[in-house]
Amino acid sequence: MKRVPCSGCSLLCDDIIIRSDGIFIDEVVGACIKGKEHFDHVTAKNRIINPMFREENNLKKIDWNQGYNTAIELMRKAKKPLLYGFSTVSCEAQLKGIQLAEKINGHIDSNSSICHGKVIEKAKSVGLTLTSIGEVINKADLIILWGANAAESIPRLLNKALFSRGKFRMTGREIKTLIIIDPVQTASFGVMGVRDISLMIQPNKDIDLIRTLKEECCVADSIPTEGVAGLDKDDLKRLLLQLTGAEYGVIFAGQGLLKPSDDSTTLQEFLELIEMINSKQEKGRISLIMMGGHYNMTGFEHVALANYGQNGSLNFVNNQLEENKTNTIDKISKGDFDLSIIVGTDPISHLPANLSSKLMKHPIIVIDNKRSATSDVADLFLPSAITGIESGGLAYRLDHVPIELQKIINPPNNIPSDEEILNELLQRLTSGGP
Amino acid sequence: MEFLLNTVRKVDNDQAREFAFGDDTSLKEKLAIVFLNPEDITQLNVKPGSVVKIYHELGSINVKCSQDKNVPLKMAIMPVSIWSNQLTRVMNNELEYKNIAVKIEANNEPILDFKLLLQKIKEGSL
Repeated sequence: MKRVPCSGCSLLCDDIIIRSDGIFIDEVVGACIKGKEHFDHVTAKNRIINPMFREENNLKKIDWNQGYNTAIELMRKAKKPLLYGFSTVSCEAQLKGIQLAEKINGHIDSNSSICHGKVIEKAKSVGLTLTSIGEVINKADLIILWGANAAESIPRLLNKALFSRGKFRMTGREIKTLIIIDPVQTASFGVMGVRDISLMIQPNKDIDLIRTLKEECCVADSIPTEGVAGLDKDDLKRLLLQLTGAEYGVIFAGQGLLKPSDDSTTLQEFLELIEMINSKQEKGRISLIMMGGHYNMTGFEHVALANYGQNGSLNFVNNQLEENKTNTIDKISKGDFDLSIIVGTDPISHLPANLSSKLMKHPIIVIDNKRSATSDVADLFLPSAITGIESGGLAYRLDHVPIELQKIINPPNNIPSDEEILNELLQRLTSGGP
Repeated sequence: MEFLLNTVRKVDNDQAREFAFGDDTSLKEKLAIVFLNPEDITQLNVKPGSVVKIYHELGSINVKCSQDKNVPLKMAIMPVSIWSNQLTRVMNNELEYKNIAVKIEANNEPILDFKLLLQKIKEGSL
């Protein structure tokens, strides 16, 4: 039996016990439904384990040399390649991806830019009080899910954050208050107890609640005189008391808070609220953890920032990083690309149909360890090993803590890792072949 | 009837699982679906399992409706998938996945199969 981290989601649980002879994984203990399924992907019936190339509208099996040469050929023809994904690959592969973008004068971006990267962008001007899962386990007495359904997106998060007994807090669930702010009664509401607060906010009214809280937080012993955003004044009062009185509070922010609106200041004001509460707090603080789902979405931000001094999307011209004037959505919307290299994601399923349609107008190279809508329409598919099971590497947990993923078994057909594939493409481009 | 559409991740309706372990039929069965409050289903004059058309000015899609008492009135919940993304859109240069104003009505037309849907997206004929 061996203890390994799970790369099934961004929580990267490092307490999963597996039994393996190095060839097969016989038993997985302690993983959630998503984690168990992640390990099942090794033998998934639809897994593609050979490079495939589209001929006469059908994907046909080719060998690796043909696969690499075809990819090089497509990259050499392209003048404005777009590289996208990189949230379910290791940091080492992310770095190779950025180096590849530099080499071929591409625009590279991760899923983070349409998810929690938006918070990081806003934090540059407002500031950001982060915390770690370890701190939450050991110290938290207030847990807020804001527009986040932890039970279904990161299933073990509440086990660890809510039901744990911490080092500095020997009492557990009984002294922790859970507040859920969401317009929908999600599965996460199922764990609420009598001391918890369920706030079914009206859709698109987060900004109203944030502004009210900002106003009320500035006044000592303030009690709002009326409700806001569908919440009555008693609920608001309880929320305020918890926010300003918690010894160690943490807000898990989900996609529900990231939605665009005509008033795009929601995120900025949300971050300002946290900083404001912390400046008023006398005995504790409130921290923020962004609930990105893909296991290494945070990693791309760190790799890009550490190596290129810029996070988010990177655009290379004449093999130099240039100031980025457009984001990936803008680029796809305007059709400002002529090849897409998709790594470890499925934009044809994830993006609005008009953007998917634009992606399909140009050649698509997919590097991934699973079948998807994007692999079904790809011109070239290069299968990769599953990082955290069939190859190792570094990944950043949702709280920005780096976790070393392990190789447990060999991949079928000796499929290379994402890092090895990207490195091979770089090498071949550099050496001038084929 | 007017609704607000929210696309969400659901453990029981997971596209990655269907792509890995299912087939095109299970993909459609699990993902071409909208969850509505039982009262709204009655108002729409349909039954759980019936096909409904969800649309706005930029797109439309036929999916099966299912009832869920936890969904607020006048809200529609769809699992993230190629079907739900016929209705998501770009707003202020960002992607709008939540609280999209849509209309829903009963419909007898079939739900598009995955491959046909892909073909139509490629052709831009939706």
